[in-house]
Amino acid sequence: MRYLIEHETVLEYPQTVREHHIELRLAPRVDGHQRVMSCSIETEPAAELATYTDYFGNRVDYFCVIPPHVRLVTRLRAEVETLKENPFNFEAIPPAGEQEWLREAIRRAPPLNDYVLHRSLLTPVAMKLAEAVTCAFPRFDKERPMLDSLLELLAWVPTVLEYRSGTTEVHGPLVEAVSQGSGVCQDFAHLFITVARSWGIPARYVMGYLDPGICATGEELATHAWAEALVPGAGWIGFDATHNLLANDHYVAVAVGRDSYDAAPQRGSFKGESAGELPTVKVTVQEQ
Amino acid sequence: MFNAGMQGGKPRTPYHEFYADDFTPRDHYRLLWDHIKATGNNALEAKAHESQLALQAEGVTFTVYGESEEGIERIWPFDLIPRIITAPEWVKIESGLKQRVRALNLFLGDLYGEQRIIKDGVISPELIYQGRDFRREIVGIVPPRGIYTHISGIDIIRDEQGEFLILEDNLRTPSGVSYMIENRVIERRIMPEFFNKYRVRRVEHYPSLLLAALRSLSPRGKDSAEIVLLTPGIYNSAYFEHTFLAKEMGVELAEGRDMVTINDIVYLKTTTGLQRIDVIYRRIDDDFLDPLVFRSDSSLGIAGVINAWRAGNVAIVNAPGSGIADDKAVYPYVPDIIRYYLGQQPILNNVPTYQMTNVKDREYVFDNMERMVIKAVSESGGYGMLMGPSSTPALRKEFMDLVQENPRNYIAQPVVYLSRHTCYMDGELEARHLDLRPFTIYGEEIEVVPGGLTRVALRKGSLVVNSSQGGGSKDTWVLAE
Repeated sequence: MRYLIEHETVLEYPQTVREHHIELRLAPRVDGHQRVMSCSIETEPAAELATYTDYFGNRVDYFCVIPPHVRLVTRLRAEVETLKENPFNFEAIPPAGEQEWLREAIRRAPPLNDYVLHRSLLTPVAMKLAEAVTCAFPRFDKERPMLDSLLELLAWVPTVLEYRSGTTEVHGPLVEAVSQGSGVCQDFAHLFITVARSWGIPARYVMGYLDPGICATGEELATHAWAEALVPGAGWIGFDATHNLLANDHYVAVAVGRDSYDAAPQRGSFKGESAGELPTVKVTVQEQ
Repeated sequence: MFNAGMQGGKPRTPYHEFYADDFTPRDHYRLLWDHIKATGNNALEAKAHESQLALQAEGVTFTVYGESEEGIERIWPFDLIPRIITAPEWVKIESGLKQRVRALNLFLGDLYGEQRIIKDGVISPELIYQGRDFRREIVGIVPPRGIYTHISGIDIIRDEQGEFLILEDNLRTPSGVSYMIENRVIERRIMPEFFNKYRVRRVEHYPSLLLAALRSLSPRGKDSAEIVLLTPGIYNSAYFEHTFLAKEMGVELAEGRDMVTINDIVYLKTTTGLQRIDVIYRRIDDDFLDPLVFRSDSSLGIAGVINAWRAGNVAIVNAPGSGIADDKAVYPYVPDIIRYYLGQQPILNNVPTYQMTNVKDREYVFDNMERMVIKAVSESGGYGMLMGPSSTPALRKEFMDLVQENPRNYIAQPVVYLSRHTCYMDGELEARHLDLRPFTIYGEEIEVVPGGLTRVALRKGSLVVNSSQGGGSKDTWVLAE
């Protein structure tokens, strides 16, 4: 699939702010399943952009606006081709060898440990979460292929959470969403990740875009969030718990991390009065 | 880590630095001892008083934060009887520290790079990935010449057998060096006659050594190095030291709000405009250094400074991320780290340490808490610590719960009876426990300043020497050959 993505973020302040530094994780990732044909970021006021690759492998674009201003806009325009038509298309390995495959993958790439060990308010210890969950956790069965357990987990998450836009904050604690039984896509992803990690499977958070055709009515069209788990034989596979779907070529991945904080599309720091203004975000995803 | 049950029931006597036995001073203290005896207590009292006045006049202070939020500023507590370290003793300390600092810098470069030591199974990934001070934000950045800890203040103690042991590594923003120098200045003024009897090596050149090391890191070359000392401000307990070092080195003392990063270049705001900065000697923690990448609520740091550092436009001293190497949970592995990177045996040993993540160790510690020191791994300055011998049952229970809740966050060590030294305390000569913090500078090469800050537990029998917990200090003499 080919998509044209436009993503505009407007920050407005009641009083002038200055020395404003921004980091963006907006550029769609480039890998075997995704090609980026064009990608441009512009800012208002105009600024000089620089870039680096962060620890999680995300491309970061950053800039600063030093003089006083009351408004700061960033605009991304990217054309992307997605290639993963069938996420099940991989050579599975026998269940007996899966644990060894994971151990070896982690031994060779120690940073994968983060995706197993990390705990935060967003991806807490599963034990802590268990008290808030009314129905029992799915069980991890070592006799069966790991993917089967992960698919059960994928189907389980929407039985715990109901999608309701704006019910939780983006970086709000997962326990809150689970105890109220509803959340946004971030919460769905965090819940999946928390349980997968408790099974010892590396799982990470993905921020990206979704084909509008997949979205249920009432969903805000902004960035989407899902989870990726490292599946033996396959590599990273995307699990969209909000829609109980595996991520395929209708998904455009942008940034990954241990949780939504790591993969936040925009992060900034400025000097001046702040009243906790929230940005106005406008995203369009068009099939081409 | 090591076998439990190695302590016998016999009473343990601390090593005395000054006396060989009850009546005889050690050879290198003989001249000092004769002199003190000849001087008499009245004269000593006068000198003690004089030293207090001098410290007050110089404004040598530190701030203690206790129960109340507001800090109390105190005159630096100084004991006028110097501690003497012989040349052969110093050779061992110096070579041991150089070895340790070299290995720890290789370790840091590896952790923020390839992580060979984890792949080879010498260090467990949990130790690093669950460490609070492993900074993912700087992975892949290689600081100039691979040096992270330009300044180290590694604490050394002496056990009952008189062996020097490493107590803890301080590799973030170790403080105390200004007091090392002030102690020497005061000692020279109050007791000039002492210095005629001994060949004492200099420590006063520390600021010029540090300045040379800072200059050597300048991205624009050492001849055009603009340097600032970045302080969190007057409420910091080490603010005296910040002003002292800035003045001695002739560099600007700046706070985060005085600085700005523009397109990866860091500037100091001056009355005549922006001045480009090459080297930042920061005395604030990583957490507060850059609100863009670390704690976003920090107003002490400089937004964008990490990106400027990554771009190679500014040096940060010590390098961000150094804290994982002095994490107290990493400490038990430092001997392995030395063997792994240098292929050498450690010259200075560690204090035996129990890992609270190890169930057997933990149970042993819980059964013997009165004989243990339990330390929170990311705390320093004597905070978050249980001193077994002086603890109450309630406090021990509290620590037991804390340890069980988060074992990675604690280590335990059998109480080491720190060596003692004669001190002049309110008109009497009395023995007090002490330790030693020498300062190591890693510039063009590694240098250990011959001396250090000797910290004294002022309360009789106390083993806590931290200044923040009411410790005192002595001038520390390293003798020339």
